[in-house]
Amino acid sequence: MLAALRSRAIHLCSSSHALQPWKPGFLGFHRFESSSPGSTSGFLDLQEVEKVLNDVKADDVKVIPVRNHCDWTDFMVIATGRSTWHVRNIAEALIYKAAETLVAKQKQKGAQRLLLPSVQGQEGGKWIVIDSGTVIVHALDEKARAYYNLESLWTTEMSPKGPTKDLEKAFVKIRRTNNSKKSVKKVA
Amino acid sequence: MRTNLKVVDNSGAKRVMCIQALKGKKGARLGDTIIASVKEAQPRGKVKKGDVVYGVVVRAAMQRGRCDGSEIKFDDNAVVLVNKQGEPIGTRVFGPVPHELRKKKHVKILTLAEHIA
Repeated sequence: MLAALRSRAIHLCSSSHALQPWKPGFLGFHRFESSSPGSTSGFLDLQEVEKVLNDVKADDVKVIPVRNHCDWTDFMVIATGRSTWHVRNIAEALIYKAAETLVAKQKQKGAQRLLLPSVQGQEGGKWIVIDSGTVIVHALDEKARAYYNLESLWTTEMSPKGPTKDLEKAFVKIRRTNNSKKSVKKVA
Repeated sequence: MRTNLKVVDNSGAKRVMCIQALKGKKGARLGDTIIASVKEAQPRGKVKKGDVVYGVVVRAAMQRGRCDGSEIKFDDNAVVLVNKQGEPIGTRVFGPVPHELRKKKHVKILTLAEHIA
């Protein structure tokens, strides 16, 4: 079903961008994000994600805003599936919803650059990541969730990795102390 | 081939030697997957010395061009151990990792990383 959906979405759009959603414009895309959140990429809404996860009956859905710690994404959604089949189902449901919203948007606006969210980990159903720009959805099973412990990684405050010393003090010229046995010659 | 790489996750290995680059005739670069042999490992880890493992190169001393024209290079060569399906064996990744991993479909390593260059 998934392959048929993807081929349908790709067939609908005229540009070749759908095949590789993170094509060269990625860095440019990242810069434009803050101004127009919903226009260029498919499937950004948190509410839609939450609704789909509720429909699929995913356990223990957690939404973590990482906008402060993280500059490559804004929200992380973590969901648990009861079995590998359930985890795969969650991923398929999200992709299906994304394709639907893309088709709806395309009918309104005409042929735009359609970005399907990329899915990683589809074959082994232990940890599937769906990357759609500002929202990243992790679908894990129980054991993987306990093993990787993603909440503790993202909810603790990450200290900024910049220099800790003051910039003014770093460049002050200090007269070196003379540790040698020879006395310093006085400059005439 | 035969490149000594540092392991930057907590899977237990410390040094691996590359034995095959999975894609590319000229060798693996930043973001590529390699097959490696564990040369040095911590005593109580998930991998032990002599294991053949897959890894993803996360830092490379060779510069890699970005799409805006800039280049990125690191001081060392580092790898994150991964299983055949692409899932990281360790649970945390230390040190900076580049953005290129996102396009190469290694978002899992990016989520485990502590700093992104």
